[in-house]
Formats: sequence, structure tokens, C-alpha cells
Amino acid sequence: MSVSVRGEGLVKRFGRGEAAVRALDGVSIALDDGVIAALLGPSGSGKSTLVKALGLVQLPDEGVIHFRDRVVARDGLAVADLAELRRSHLGFVFQKANLVSFLSARENVEIAARIGGQRDPRARAEELLAYLDVGHRAKAYPEELSGGEQQRVAIARALANRPALVLADEPTAALDKERGRAVMELLRRVAHEQGAAVLVVTHDHRAMDVFDVVYEMEDGRLTGPLARSRDDAHAAAPTSAT
Amino acid sequence: MNLALRDVRRHLPRFVGTAAGLALLFAVVIAMQGIYAGMVDDAKILTRTMGADLWVVQRDTLGPFAEASRLDPSLVRRAAVVPGVARARGYTYAIVQREHEGRTLRLALVGLSWPDDRGAELPLERGRELSRGRGELIVDRTLGLDLGDVLPLGDESLEVVGVTRDTLTSAGDAVAFLSIADWHSVVDASPDEALRLERERARARLLGTELGRSQPWLSELAIDPRWRAPVLPEPPLHAVLVDVAPDASPTEVEARLAGWPDVRVLSTPAQEQVLLDSVVGRAKLQIGLFTVILTLTAMVVVMMVLYTLAVEKTHDIAVLKLLGARRPTIAGLVLQQAWLLGLLAYLVAVGIGAMLYPTFPRRVVLTDEIRFLAPVVIFVVTTGASLLGVAHAMRVDAGKVLEG
Repeated sequence: MSVSVRGEGLVKRFGRGEAAVRALDGVSIALDDGVIAALLGPSGSGKSTLVKALGLVQLPDEGVIHFRDRVVARDGLAVADLAELRRSHLGFVFQKANLVSFLSARENVEIAARIGGQRDPRARAEELLAYLDVGHRAKAYPEELSGGEQQRVAIARALANRPALVLADEPTAALDKERGRAVMELLRRVAHEQGAAVLVVTHDHRAMDVFDVVYEMEDGRLTGPLARSRDDAHAAAPTSAT
Repeated sequence: MNLALRDVRRHLPRFVGTAAGLALLFAVVIAMQGIYAGMVDDAKILTRTMGADLWVVQRDTLGPFAEASRLDPSLVRRAAVVPGVARARGYTYAIVQREHEGRTLRLALVGLSWPDDRGAELPLERGRELSRGRGELIVDRTLGLDLGDVLPLGDESLEVVGVTRDTLTSAGDAVAFLSIADWHSVVDASPDEALRLERERARARLLGTELGRSQPWLSELAIDPRWRAPVLPEPPLHAVLVDVAPDASPTEVEARLAGWPDVRVLSTPAQEQVLLDSVVGRAKLQIGLFTVILTLTAMVVVMMVLYTLAVEKTHDIAVLKLLGARRPTIAGLVLQQAWLLGLLAYLVAVGIGAMLYPTFPRRVVLTDEIRFLAPVVIFVVTTGASLLGVAHAMRVDAGKVLEG
């Protein structure tokens, strides 16, 4: 099983001097293909900062990020085309669906596929919407979709570029229990059926059985893995926590 | 997939409304240019419609359109015999304002040297040229008179025998053409009481002289309207129009006439230039300033509209950036929308213009230059105005999306 993304000794500070806060305090983590991992922790523990770092959106001040065994960022500096990596290899799912408001459901997925360089973006979008049971809502605009439908379209969009890594930041926070569970199951299918590495930030302890690996963050430090999934075949590689 | 078009489609009513507002602004800017072009064209029409090669005017003056120019009618005969001159005609010009059927008519009266000049060169829309030396009139259609209408002017009742198109002065007044004889009757007409008083003054002046006292019968002649002293000058002309023979050199003819010490000779282009400089010169500056101010206003309005549209899309832009959208894609979203807005506004402005410009009191002439420049300027304005929106879009941080 190959490693999708690996962070080593990640440090991120906010503020200066005595008021400085270390949102990431020497975090090291590796996410493997085909594995769904949970990232737990209280608010302000650094979960979102870690997601931004692994998503190559906000680089840490120190540490190294590898993508497919290639160094892409070192000590706050990009050493690769990060936008290109996001375009081609990363998918994001957020607490809110964050669909582009002026595009229909299909177009939201299609634009991601197009940006990601997929050969037939429209077909890819229709295929994914059907896969996530929202094909019948393809022409609807985001405001016309229910919360659950929006989140499924967002997952379809995250998968549009056939990503190696999907980062989901509290994707079920705005959903009721039943819909939240369904979304988690979907993400697990994505990891197991599509072979992507999936990292899910969540507070929802009721869905822990969905995950292959569980990490926990507190005060910018990572502990874990704390739990293993039902299916050892998809267990994550051991990851250091500091 | 064109994101700009998708956004426009989603917010079509608001977009069209914005474009319509902008179109009104553009329509005004285009109208300003069209009005100026109309003034220039009108100024040239006055000289162009006469079809002369040379304008002979009083020495040290710029001709009848700029200032008073008085020439003795004998100049027509003098000019006619100059080698190379095919035809010489008298020309008089005055602005008059009269009440007619409850409305005020303001018109420029142009006296034609009938029968040598019957108005054959005039752009007649209906009717005919002058066939008689008295009592006939050719008017511009904007005066609202029709063939057969009779217009009382001074002591004359003039019948409209021809209607012209686009014969206006640079001030927008309709031009009426009549014989010089009628022109003098109209322009020089005085009220009966003024004539009577003038006769009495003439009698008193005569009786104040030795001649008048020794020969009192002369005073009867002095006040008899049928009698006119042969030493008194004929009513003056304002210009003499000269047509150069086809086989003659206009430059040589001009040089010959210019040698006379009592006249100044202007070619038709020079006379047009006089009109442009003296009559519409200030208007050009005024309208130019208005146009610049309106164009800048349009630019600021477009800028704020586009900036607002870009700010409203901040979240969508952040999402697109997070997905890895390239900078040209993001910039294109704002820029293409600006161009679409400009294009739609221009088309609506053209439509508004087609409906409204003909109803303007001043003629609006959309020259080829205006037709070409208007869309180019709108393109430049919308492109420039979009820069603020593009700058905002470029500054949007993709990480904002992850902050919920």
C-alpha cells in the first residue's frame, strides 16, 4: 500500500512573540491509499490547520510535506506547483457543501473535472452524480438542493479529478444523524472502492466504525492511530505522533 | 465551460438591468458625439448645399456666417466676367424669428440670386426649385411646413414650393431659401409707423439744408415711397458665390479675385473651416469636456458594478481557487463579464439611440468614426473598469473556504 501524503515535523504558528500560538506543534502523519482516517479533537486543537497544510492551501512554517514520496513543500516554501497538485490529485469536502452558487449540480462537478484535466468532464460529472445517487438533481442549482444532496454533490466534486487524497473538514456537521451517517459511508466507499486516501475531520463519535484509522489532535499535537477499522486490510500504516 | 456566461445566466435579470442602466449612460455619451457631428455637418451643409467653388466676402471679414459681410451687388457682374468664372451668384443670409399659427418659427433665410440660382443644388425631398423671382420659398422639413403652405414674412406671403432634408444651421435652425428680392423684403421690412417717421425725418433733414429751403418741392420727392434717389446704394449682398469653369484652375481664379482690394476670397473648404472654428469651435470644446466627464462617469459606474459583482462572488472564487482553477480562469470570470456587460449595454444603447435620437431637437449624426469608436471605447472602458474586480478576485484566499 503506497503513501499518498506524508507530513513530517509540521509546525504552524499564528501571532508573534509571547502571544504566538503553535497551531501545529511538530505533527507528523502519513495517509495511505485506500484508507479512510478520522481526525478528532476539540475546537482550536489544530485540525483545520493540519487539513490546510496537507491540502497545500496554507503551508506550515516548518516541516516537510511529501506527496507520492516527492517533497512538495519544505519549511513554508513550495517546491512544486501546489495549484497543479490540488487540481490533479486533491479533493476537498467541507462542513458546508461550498458549491459554486451559479453552477448547477452537474456543472459544479464538471468544472472540478475540467480543472483536474479529466478527458470528458461532463461524462465524469454525470457518472459521479449517478454513483452518489444525485443524478436526478443534476440540473438543480445549489440553493435548490437539500443539505444532504448538496453534500453528496460536494463529494462528487471532490472525486471529479480522481484524487489521490480527499480531505473532508467536518462534512456531516450540518446534517442530521441519518444523512451524516450516509455521507460517512460514502466517503468510506470512496476510499475502499476508488482507492483514495481520505482524511475526515469530525466530532461525530457515533460514526467511528466507518474509519480505518483514527487520529486525535490536542493543542497542535497529534496522537494516534487510536483505533483500527473492522477491515484490517485497509488499516493505515503506523504513523508517528508527537 | 464559460464561467462568466454561467454567472450571467444565473443572475440574468440583475445583469440585464445593470446593462440597461449602463446603456442609458452610453446612449448619452454617443448622443453627445452625434450632436457634435450633427453640428459640424449642419455647419458644412450651409456651404455645401450652395455648390459654389469660391465664396467672395467683404475684405477683412470671415463671411456671413461669422460676422457682417456687406458687398455691393455689382460685384456679381464684376466676378462673372473674370476669366475662368462659369457663374457668379449673390448670397444673403440672416436669422429671423416669426410667429406663425401660434408657434414660433426660427429660421435662417438664405437669399438666392434668382434666376441664375433657383436652388437646383438643394437636397429637395419634395416639391421643386424656385420658378418665380417673388413669392416662393423652399424650406427644411423640420420647419413643419408642407408644399402649398403660405408663410407670411414681413410684407410678403411666401408659398412653400419645395421641402429639403437636413438643411439646418450649426445652431439647429431650419434653413429657408428664397429669392434675394424677397429676402430683402422680409429682412429689411419695417413697420408702417417706422417708415412714416423716417420719411418725416428725411423731409426735416432736407428742409434743414439750403437746397431744401430753396427748392421745397424736393421734400415731396424725399417722402414718396415710389421714388428712390439713384445715388443711394442698392441693398447689399453678404457674399458672392463663384462657380469655376471646368477647364479653369480654381487656384488661379481665386488668386485673381483675391487681388481686388475690397474683397476676401474663401474656398468652400476654407468657408467651412471658418464655420467650424467660429461657430462650433466652443461647442466642440464643451461637448468634448462633457464626453470625457460622462465617459469617466461610465467607467466609475462600471468599475463599481464589476467590483460589487466580484465581491459577491468572493466565496465562489475561493472555491474555484481551492479546486485549482488557474489565474486566467479566475481573471477571465470577471473580465469576460465586464465585456459581456459592455457589449449588452452597447447594443441596448444603439437600440435606445435608434428610437430616441430622431426625436432630439438637434440632429444626431452617427458618423462611421463614431460607429467604429463607440464599441472600441466601451471595450477599453469596461476592460479598465474591470481591473479593480480582477484585483479583488486575484487576492481571494482559497483557504477562506476551509474556515467554514
